[in-house]
Amino acid sequence: MLKEGREIFKVRYIAIIVYITLLFGSIILFQFQQSNTIVEDHGRLLPVKMKTVKSTDDEEEMKEIILDAAKSDDSISIAGMQHSQGGQTLYPNGILLDMKSYNKILKLDEEKKLITVQSGVTWADIQSYINPYGLALKVSQSQNIFTVGGSLSVNVHGRDILYTSLIESVESFRLLDAEGNIIHVSREENPELFQLVIGGYGLFGVILDVTLQLTDDELYQIQTKSLAYDKYSSYFTTDVLQNNAVKMHVARISVAPDSYLTEMYVTDYYTIDDQSHLTNYTTLKRESIIAIPKLFLGLSRINDWGKNMFWKTQEAYNQRIDDTFISRNNVMRSESTFMEFDSASKTEVLQEYFVPVDQFTPYIDSLRETLQDEKNFNLLNITIRYVKKNDEAVLSYAKEDMFGLVMLINQGTSEKSIEETGEVIRKMIDVTLAHGGSYYLPYYNYPTEEQLEVAYPRVQEFFQMKEKYDPDKRFLNLFYEEYHK
Amino acid sequence: MNYRRFMIYQGIIGMAASMIFPFYVLLLKNVGSSYSQFGWAYGLFALTAALSYSLIGKFADRVGDKILLVIYSWGMALILLIFPLAFEIWHVYILQIGMGLLGAVQKNSEKTVLARNVQKETAGREIGRYHVWTSVAAAIAVIATGYLIDFLTIGSIFYLASIVFAWSGFYIMKLEIVK
Repeated sequence: MLKEGREIFKVRYIAIIVYITLLFGSIILFQFQQSNTIVEDHGRLLPVKMKTVKSTDDEEEMKEIILDAAKSDDSISIAGMQHSQGGQTLYPNGILLDMKSYNKILKLDEEKKLITVQSGVTWADIQSYINPYGLALKVSQSQNIFTVGGSLSVNVHGRDILYTSLIESVESFRLLDAEGNIIHVSREENPELFQLVIGGYGLFGVILDVTLQLTDDELYQIQTKSLAYDKYSSYFTTDVLQNNAVKMHVARISVAPDSYLTEMYVTDYYTIDDQSHLTNYTTLKRESIIAIPKLFLGLSRINDWGKNMFWKTQEAYNQRIDDTFISRNNVMRSESTFMEFDSASKTEVLQEYFVPVDQFTPYIDSLRETLQDEKNFNLLNITIRYVKKNDEAVLSYAKEDMFGLVMLINQGTSEKSIEETGEVIRKMIDVTLAHGGSYYLPYYNYPTEEQLEVAYPRVQEFFQMKEKYDPDKRFLNLFYEEYHK
Repeated sequence: MNYRRFMIYQGIIGMAASMIFPFYVLLLKNVGSSYSQFGWAYGLFALTAALSYSLIGKFADRVGDKILLVIYSWGMALILLIFPLAFEIWHVYILQIGMGLLGAVQKNSEKTVLARNVQKETAGREIGRYHVWTSVAAAIAVIATGYLIDFLTIGSIFYLASIVFAWSGFYIMKLEIVK
C-alpha cells in the first residue's frame, strides 16, 4: 500500500515535468506562427505575408513608422477596409499601415458646408455626425462601410448624377509623404499631387485629414420603372439628365436566364417641392433583417432557377418602393451585409466597366454575345450608375459621360478557376474598350498591361510621377508591382 | 471515498472546459471559413463520442473510474496545447475527434462515480448539490473568460485552460477516492 502510494507520487511528478516541457514547446511554436502575419483583402484571392501590421491615431507616430521604414528599407502598404481586390493594400513582407484607428472628425463648418475628417473615418461615421445638422454627403459609394482615405484612393463614384466622382467633392487634404513631410494638397496648392493621390491607390503617401464639401440633406421621392435595355440610354438622357428634379439614379440589368441582359429597371430619386416632411425621414437606417435578400442571392449563386427568382424578387421589391420617400442621407447607406459570402473554396469578386452613354445598347449586345458561351461564368448581379466626364485625376475612368456597370461574380479560389475567370474578364474588357469604355482599377489583376494602357492613357505618366515623388518606393502594393514597367 | 474532493475535481475541470467551449468558436472562425465547416467540426465531436461510449463504459467497470479521469485530464491538457497551433481546417477536425473521445470519457465517468457513490435514498439531493457547485464554477469561468479574452488572445485562453486541466490531472492522481 505504502509502496504503491510512492509510485503514484513519482508518476504524478513525472507527468507534471513532461507536461511543462510540452507547454513551453507549444508556446514557442505558437509565437513563431504568430510572428508571420498573413493578410488578405476582401476578395481573398491574394493571401500575402506581411512583415507587420501597424496602426496609430497619432500623426507623429505615423511619421516615425515611415522614417523607421526608410531606415530599414521596408515598404509600406496603406489600408482602410481592404475592400479593393487586387492587392492595392498589400505587399509581400511589407508593413501594413492600418488607418482604421485614425478616425476622428475634426471640424464641421456649417456655413460653408465643409467637414474635415481624419482619413480612417468611415462614411457611416460622417453620416451619423452630419445628419443632425441637416447636411449630407455630395458623393459616396452606395455602401457606407468604407473609410474616406480608401475611397479617395480609388476615387469612388455613387448615385448622385450631378456630383459623380468623389474627387469633385474634395476641397483639400494633407499628405504624409515618403520623406515624412506633411504637405497641403488642394486644387491650388500642389495641384499635381491632388490629381495623383485621388485615385492613386496609396502610392504617393498617407492621406491624413481630408476636407470634403457637403450639401443639404433633402427629401426625395422614389420613382421606379421597368424598361428594355435598348430604351435605357434615351430614357436616361431625356427623363433623368434633362429633368432637374432628379438628383440620384441607379439601375439594374437582369442576369437571370429568362431575361438575360435585356430587362432592366431603374430607380430615380426626385427632389420634391414640399420639404416640410423631411424630418419624418431623417432617422438613419440601420441594417434591417437581411435574411430574405441573403436567401435569394444565395439561391442565385447555385443555378439558373435561383437567378430567375432573385431577379423577380429584386424587381418586385423595386416596384414596392415606388413613390415612397427617403432622405438623401438614407439613399447613401445601402445594405451590404447580405452580400457577405463565407466559403472556403469560392469567393465573390467585383468588376466595373464604364461605357459611354450613347454606346450602351450596342455594348450590351456585344457583352451578351461574348458571354453566351461562358457557361461556367457565374455572374450574379449588375448595377448601373452614371458618371459624368471628369479628367481631374490622372487615373480617371470617366473619360466622357458614362455608365458604370458593377458586376458581382462568384468564382472559385483554385488556380484553375482564377485562370478561367480571368479569360472571360479579359474578353469583357476587350469588348468594353472597343466601345470606347474603360474599367475600374480596384479589382483583381485580371486585365493585361495593354488593356490598362488603353483604358488609362495617362498610366505611364502616373508611374513616372510615382518615381518622382517616391523614388525609393516606400509605398508599394501589388497593383504597382503588377503593372509598372 | 472522498466524494467532496471529487466534487472539487469536477468543479475544476468544469471551469476549464467552460473556459474554452463557448470561445473556441472564435478559433474555428480564424481557421475555417464556412458554416458547413463549423457543422462538421461539431458533428465529428458528437459522432466520435457516440461511437466510443459503449467501449468506455466497459472499460470503466474493468479498470475503474479514476484511470479514466486521469486520462481525461491529461488528455485535455495535451490536446489544448495543440489547438493554438492548428491552422488548417483538417487539424481542427482531428482535434475535434480527440476532444469527442475525451468528452465521452468525462461524461461517462462523471456518471459512474456518482452512481457508485450516492445513496439511492438521497440520490436526488446529492446529485442536485453536486450540480449546484459544478455549475457555479462553470458559470464563473465563462464570465471571467469573456473578460480575459479582451485582454489576452484566444491562444492564451487555450494555454490557461490546458494548465488548469494539467493541475486537475495532478490532483486526481493523488486522490484515493475513486476506485
